[in-house]
Parts: sequence; C-alpha cells; structure tokens
Amino acid sequence: MTDSKYFTTTKKGEIFELKSELNNDKKEKKKEAVKKVIASMTVGKDVSALFPDVVNCMQTDNLELKKLVYLYLMNYAKSQPDMAIMAVNTFVKDCEDPNPLIRALAVRTMGCIRVDKITEYLCEPLRKCLKDEDPYVRKTAAVCVAKLYDISSGLVEDQGFLEQLKELLSDSNPMVVANAVAALSEINESSPTGQPLVELSTNTINKLLTALNECTEWGQVFILDSLSNYTPRDEREAQSICERITPRLAHANAAVVLSAVKVLIKMMEILAGDTEFCNTLSKKLAPPLVTLLSSEPEVQYVALRNINLIVQKKPDILKHEMKVFFVKYNDPIYVKLEKLDIMIRLASQVNIAQVLSELKEYATEVDVDFVRKAVRAIGRCAIKVEPSAERCVATLLDLIQTKVNYVVQEAIVVIKDIFRKYPNKYESIISTLCENLDTLDEPEARASMVWIIGEYAERIDNADELLDSFLEGFGDENAQVQLQLLTAVVKLFLKRPQHTQGLVQHVLSLATQDSDNPDLRDRGFIYWRLLSTDPAAAKEVVLADKPLISEETDLLEPTLLDELICHISSLASVYHKPPTAFVEGRSAGIRKTLPARQGSDEGAGAGAAAAETTVIPNQESLIGDLLSMDINAPAPSAAAAPAAPLASNVDLLGGGLDVLLGGGSDIGGGGAVSAAAPTTTGLLGDIFGIPSAPTMYTPPKVIWLPAEKGKGMEIYGTFSRRSGQMAMEMTITNKAMQAMSGFAIQFNKNSFGITPCAPMNVPALQPGQNLEYSLPLNTTGPVQRMDPLMTLQIAIKNNVDVFYYACQIPIQILFGEDGTLDKRVFLTTWRDIPGANEVQYTLNDIKGNTDTVSNKMTLNNIFTIAKRNVEGQDMLYQSLKLTNNIWVLLELKLQPGVPTATLSLKSRSVEVAPYVFQAYESILKS
Amino acid sequence: MGMLFSYFKSLIGTREMRILILGLDGAGKTTILYRLQVGEVVTTIPTIGFNVEQVTYKNLKFQVWDLGGQTSIRPYWRCYYSNTDAIIYVVDSADKERIGISKDELVPMLREEELSDAILVVLANKQDIPGCMSLKEVHQALGLEALKNRTFQIFKTSAIKGEGLDMAMEWLANALKNRK
Repeated sequence: MTDSKYFTTTKKGEIFELKSELNNDKKEKKKEAVKKVIASMTVGKDVSALFPDVVNCMQTDNLELKKLVYLYLMNYAKSQPDMAIMAVNTFVKDCEDPNPLIRALAVRTMGCIRVDKITEYLCEPLRKCLKDEDPYVRKTAAVCVAKLYDISSGLVEDQGFLEQLKELLSDSNPMVVANAVAALSEINESSPTGQPLVELSTNTINKLLTALNECTEWGQVFILDSLSNYTPRDEREAQSICERITPRLAHANAAVVLSAVKVLIKMMEILAGDTEFCNTLSKKLAPPLVTLLSSEPEVQYVALRNINLIVQKKPDILKHEMKVFFVKYNDPIYVKLEKLDIMIRLASQVNIAQVLSELKEYATEVDVDFVRKAVRAIGRCAIKVEPSAERCVATLLDLIQTKVNYVVQEAIVVIKDIFRKYPNKYESIISTLCENLDTLDEPEARASMVWIIGEYAERIDNADELLDSFLEGFGDENAQVQLQLLTAVVKLFLKRPQHTQGLVQHVLSLATQDSDNPDLRDRGFIYWRLLSTDPAAAKEVVLADKPLISEETDLLEPTLLDELICHISSLASVYHKPPTAFVEGRSAGIRKTLPARQGSDEGAGAGAAAAETTVIPNQESLIGDLLSMDINAPAPSAAAAPAAPLASNVDLLGGGLDVLLGGGSDIGGGGAVSAAAPTTTGLLGDIFGIPSAPTMYTPPKVIWLPAEKGKGMEIYGTFSRRSGQMAMEMTITNKAMQAMSGFAIQFNKNSFGITPCAPMNVPALQPGQNLEYSLPLNTTGPVQRMDPLMTLQIAIKNNVDVFYYACQIPIQILFGEDGTLDKRVFLTTWRDIPGANEVQYTLNDIKGNTDTVSNKMTLNNIFTIAKRNVEGQDMLYQSLKLTNNIWVLLELKLQPGVPTATLSLKSRSVEVAPYVFQAYESILKS
Repeated sequence: MGMLFSYFKSLIGTREMRILILGLDGAGKTTILYRLQVGEVVTTIPTIGFNVEQVTYKNLKFQVWDLGGQTSIRPYWRCYYSNTDAIIYVVDSADKERIGISKDELVPMLREEELSDAILVVLANKQDIPGCMSLKEVHQALGLEALKNRTFQIFKTSAIKGEGLDMAMEWLANALKNRK
C-alpha cells in the first residue's frame, strides 16, 4: 500500500452533501440545496466547487430557483471562467422565454458575468433583448450594453450596440430612455480616447427633455447628468433647456435638485452673464438650495459641500441667504464646520456685523474644535472683508482677553496672517500677544508667535530675551517651531546685529549639529553660508518683502473649481477632489470643464482675475509658505553667493564669528563649532557644487606632449563634458629645472569649431610641481574640415617656447543634451536617409543587459527613442545630435546572453560613423 | 438487499431515467432532443452549454441532457456522467473526416467508471444525406465490435425526417426495463 491514499479525498463533508442534494430528482430538494449553497456563499464560504451542479439546475421553469442559480452565477462565473460556458445556452434560451421577467433577468445576469470567454456568445441574445417588445427588458438590456463595454469595448462597437443604444434614446418609454442615457454616458466616460463616442444632438436632447418629465426620479438624475455634458449650439437652445429643466428644482429628491442645479449653472456659464434671463435664473436657484438644508444632517452635509462649490463659483446666488448658514446648536459638528466655511465665503461688508457677532458667539461654545474654527473664521473675515478688518481684530482681541488657552492660541495663529495682510497697521497689539507667551503650548501657535517676534524684532525691545527663552527648550520643540526659531533669530540678528551674535551662533549650532531633521539642518547651513559670505545678500533674502496674502484664502484653484462644478451632485463634489483622484481603474478619462462663455470679454476678465489672485491652498501649507523663506525670489543673490568668497573678503563666519569663537571659548560648544566648520563647508560644497550624479564617460588622460618635446613641460590630457559644458582636462607637469609661467593656448581651425571659452589662466609652475587644469571649450570657433576628422591641433606657449601638438577629440563630448527625437520623427528621418548612408558595425564584449546599455548611453547623451523585442533580440533605437546640428540615428541589435551586438548607423554626414562607433566601444567598456 | 430495492423500484416505476445525448458538434443532438420531446423539427443554433428536457416515452419518463459538442465543451461532459442510465451517442454519418475524432471521444468515455452500467445507443444520424456512411461502416469506424460487457445497439436515423428514432427509443425503453 502506498501513501498516495492520504492524498485522495474522502468525498465527505458539507460540499459533498450539497452536491448530492443538488443532484436530487425532487425539485423541492434541489431548491433547498441551492438555497443552502447561496447561504454559504453569502457568509463567505467557498462553494465554487459546486459550480457544475448548480449550473445544471439552471434550466427550470421555477422562477425562484432560476433567480438563485443566477445569483450564484454572478458570483462564481469569474472563478470558473471555463465552466461558465455551460451556462450560455440557458441564457440564450431564457432570452427567448415568453415571460419578460425571465428575459430581463437573463440579460441582466449576462451583463454581470464578466468572463471574456463567453461574452461573444451573449451578443446575439443581447441584440434581441434590445429590440424586445417589453420595455422592462429593453431598459435592462440598455444597461447591459454599458457593462459589456467595460469588458470588451471593441465587441460593443463591432456589434453595433452603440447604434442600437442611440435608437433607444428615442424610445417611447421614458425609463428606457433614461437607462439608455445612463449607459451612454457611462460608455462615454470610459472611452479610451477621452472623446465621447456618442455625441448628443439637438434632436436627442429634445427627446431627453420630453422623457425627463415622465420618468422616475433616478431616471431624471441620469437624464440631467447627461444634459450637463451637452453643450448647446447657441444661447437660444441653452435658454430653452434651462426653461424646461427649471421645474425639476422643485423635486422632492435632493439628487434631482442638485443635478438640475448643475445643469443650470453650466448653462448660465454659456449664457452671457448679466442678462435678465440669467438674473431670474439665479434667483430661482436659491430657494431649492436653501430647502435642501432642512433635510436630515447627512443630506445637509452633501448639500453644503455642493453649496460650498456653488458659492465659490457664483457668490451672487446665495448672497442674501446668510442666515440659513448660521449654526444651530444641535447641528452635528460636520455640518457646523461646513456652514462656518460657507459663512466666511458669503461674508461681505453688508453682513459682516451679523457674521462677527455670530462668530463671537460660537467662540464661546464648549466644542473645542468648533471654537477653534470660529476663531480662525474671524481671522479669515478680517483678511477677506478689508473695510471691516478693524472690527475683526477688535473681536479677536476681545477673545484673547478671555484668556481661554485654545482661543488665545488660535487667535495668535490668525493674527499672524492679519499682520501679513495689513502690514504696519495692527502691530500695536503685539504687546498684548506677548503677554500670553507662556500659555502657548501648541506648535502652530508657538511657531506663529515666534514668527511674529522675528518679523517685528525691531519693535519688540526684549525680542532677544524672548527668543532666547524659547531656545532653552529648542530640542524639545516641534519641527515647525524649530524652523521658525532659526529664521526668527537670524532675522533678529540681521536687524539688530549688536548683542545678538551669541544667539545666532547658538541657534545655528543647535540647528546644524544637534538636530536630526534634514530640513532644519539644511536651512541652518544655508543661513550660515549666507551670513558668512554676504550679509547684505542675507538681508535681502531673509528680510525680503513677502507677497501679500490675497483675500481669497482657501479658494479652490479655478480650474479645479470648474471641474468640480461639472461634478456637482457626485462624490467628487463632496470630496472636493476630481474623480480621477479617487476613482481607480478608469483610464484617465475626460476632465470635465465648464464651457467657455460666449460673451468672450467677460471670460477674459474672469481669467485675468483668476490669474491675479494668489491662491493659498490651505492652512498647513499656508503657514509653511508664510514662515519659510521664499526660495524663488532671491535666486539671483543665491546664485551669486558661491562666487562671492573669491571676490570679497567679507567672511562673517570665518572672520567675525571665528574671532568671536576664538575669543569666547567660554561659550558652550564653541570649540565644536569651529571644528565642525570645515565639514560644514564641505557639505555646502556638495550643495552648491557640481552634482555628483554619474556623468558622461571621460576617456583616461593620454600623453599629449612628452617632457622631452616640451622642453620640460609634460602634458597629459583628455576631453570631458559635464552638464553640457565641454572642457579640456590637462595635467601639466614642470619637469624642467626652472619655473614656468606665462601660459597661453590656441587651437587651430578644426572640424567642429572647437575653441577655448576663456584664455588659459595657469599660475607659475615651480620645478617638479604639477597642476590639474580644466579649460572650458565651446564650438564657436572657425570651422575647417580636418583629416582625420576629429583631429585638433593645439599650440601652447609658456615663457620658454611655443609647442605644437595634435590630439584626437573623442566625439562623445560633442553629443548635445538635446539629442532626443520624437518616435515618429525618428522613424520618418530613418526612412528619409538613403540606404547608402547606412553603416554597420559589430560591437564585441558587451556587458550587461539592454537596460544597462541604454542607461549608459543616455548618460552620454545618446538617447534611446524606442525599444523593441524582435524574435528574442532587443532592438534599441537611439539618436544623438552633434554640436553642429548633425543628427545621427542608430539601431542597436542586442541578443541577451550574446556578447556581440550589431550597430547600424544612419546619418546625412556619414563620415562621423567610425568615430561614433569608437565612442560606443569606449562608453560600453567604461 | 439489492434485489429488494430493485423490486420496489419496479413497483413504483416512476424514477426518471437520466439520459445523455452526446456526440460531436453538428451531429444533430439538439434536433433529436426536440424531435423526441415535441415531435417536430426545430431550428437550432450550436448549443453552447446544454439543454435538458423531460421526455415521456411509453410511460417511461426520461430526463434527457443534450450537451454541446464543441471542442471547448467536450471536457465538461464528464460533469454529467454520474447516475446516467443511458447514453445516446449521435454520429454524423455524412462527416467521414471526423468519424475518427468521434471514436476518440467515445472510447475513453466508455472506460469511465461512472458510465460502466450505462446503456449505449449509437445513432448513425443524417442517413438522408446521399453518400453517407452505412450502418456497418459507422459501426466499424467507431470500433464498436470491441465493446464487451455493455448493452448497446446502433441505429440508423434521420432526425430531420424522423426516421429510425422510434425504433431506437423502443429498444432503449425495453433495454432500460429489462436491465437489472
């Protein structure tokens, strides 16, 4: 007896029992068994093993049993794709059943079975059902087309289902129309090209509008949603659509109302803004939106999120409705916060008094989160409604007087923004703020306070003491507070250099040495470097004027807003994110945008207005933006900084601070700072210097001028190209007995016009001394064809004599960074170049695979345009461009595992071919 | 015990006989099924899957399963083998090219343990087509002479014309009654 018996199943257990029950002759037993199977399926047991047995129960005249089997099929057809084929014939038969319920059931189930293998068999029954005499079957079949499109778009197009679907748009039954419209919009959305596959015509729009009044509420939603994707031909059509949709605003279903609002807003965008028609329309929009706020909280929330968008797009619609957004004591917190947000958006000079008294009321409530938001809202009002800023600030000060810890902290955060919005206006309250310094325990409030101290250091007499007190616990502070402290101390130092050097040096050492936070360290180093090289520049950078905050804080970006307006009444409008941000598995799809307004001057005005407003995305990034230094603005001075040490000797760190350090060794950690200084510069060198990323292959230096020919001067050299700059790298050695000086260099005319950018600047060379020198080159010199092509004749002069020598330029230093071609251009160019200009070459000893080869080439400005695998061979299509605009196209044929490769080259100037091949050889071997 | 059981079975006599109609695609299985059930020729399309119908013949109730004959479906025939009383194997007598394939499907099927007791009826269908294989030729081509220990018979039929089916069913009904 072998042990194989252990592997044979004992055929017992639940599944086995169910199986035999399913094969029972009695219909009742069978039905019971299928019910048990469905029950197991529902609770998550795997009953897929019963697939054939359940499918065998499918052909029955018992509707209940049939439904159960269909339910099972929908669930398991995917896990048994091969076996699913056994169900096809039953579907075909059921689609011809005299009972329309069965026909519809069959076509619906077919749509839910997402198995490629059987879809083709289901087309015929689907076609029949789309023409079914019963509207229930037709409307079910319409949805099935959309489902089929998701599985196999090609099939739907080939089988003409789209046309059939379009015909259904004129169906006599409104539900069929609604479903056809829903199916078509779904198909349009998932269209791979992003172009709608089926465009709605005026004619169909009219049919939709007729069906709109008669179909169910969800049918109305479908129709309205697809109307919102339609762009009317002219204003008259838009107006007529608006008129026929307006009654929907009175519908009891919130979804219908919101969808109607969406269509209307979109149409208003098309209609010129100020007409009588539009004004009446906007008046009509307000009541339904307000009505939505009397429903249950969840619906209110959805409505509020949508209203939030509408208020941003069309503030006028709800400008008189401020009161409905006042918070009720029993509103859930999510409704409260949303209402607060809308209140701020609606706040204007007209209603600010009302709003402020409400907000002040809210600030005394018990819910901490809500109170914070209310305080912040007051600040936002101050920034938004300029004429009332004073009142807002007064309200904030009142609140600070309450001494309620979190209110004070929140107030300080918003006051910081107010300072930025209204410079030199409210600084008198700084003293009040400083009184509350000790109570601040939240990072954001502390950071804001530190920012205020740094920013107004010149007005706060004891700013240094205050900052110093913060520094004591530097290590324990939150990162954003640390960053602010660093910046504030540097500001203080720049404003009041006397008596604050110790402080600045302390904070710099804390930031650069005691911190693990790379942001903090980097900022520390940058300040250090700035201060040490050019204090004037540092002043310009650190104390630069900050851009004013716009009043339109927290506004959504206009294009995003437009897109979201198109998605009103969907999840996107609740999230305030475009669908692409949270829907997975869809091809990028079309991003909806509002149509361009027909009154074009107005559109331009809106565009300009949009461009003017500085959009500040949200609070977190706001504080980041406010407190950090602006990297973009001071770019010129920053770029100048590295060069500065050579030019000027103002070395604040090296001179000033070092002296301080040297003298004041009593200062804790002083020695450590000076010890660290060299590494600091080293690090900075890395920051400012040439990137250490892998660079282009530079051939090793070869001897150009032997000492015996150069009267003691020996030159080894090569050519390089780094970040687009060509250079001649030389090692010059003085092997003579006397010093050499007065070096100069000159190139003869050459094939590519290579010439030195600048005269050679080599100091005197003592006997035995050698020197690495890199001479930058460009290609603006005189051109003369050389033979061999890449020869460069050089004359070099020193105080002894003039020496002549010639060297070969490696061609790769002439490969431009812009040598990449579009695929199509590559293809056409390749074809255009005559076959006579094609040269082949065999490369040996290739190491690495196609990708490493391709990467290596890219580093050397040989760009891979396309990659193909043909019969086991990898084909790389590459291009490069020489400095004199000669294009070279290459095809590299590699076979994995084989060390040789074939290189075909095509170029209009084929004489470069041998040098390109040489370059390939050397790059590949590098 | 077995004797006693079969005694009761014959007494009640109402158990449905389970019959499979098998054969290559296009042999005429579905046509035969509906000829048996409704007595007329229906237009058929290739069966992707199966048909199952109740057929009553001489007071015997049959549950007849007509399985699709496409290559892709043939592997699933085995799911239907258990408890099968009889197999009606349909051959297209005019399809000389594929008679070999038909044999290759039949022979391993008959070796299945689940079908060891099943009665086999071979229908040499499409006898109305001129130049088709004769009964003897079909018999030989399927290698039926090698069959042992099986109740089986071969008939020539034309499902379109309705010829030969009665005779075959008569024989099958008797065979099923006498089986024990």
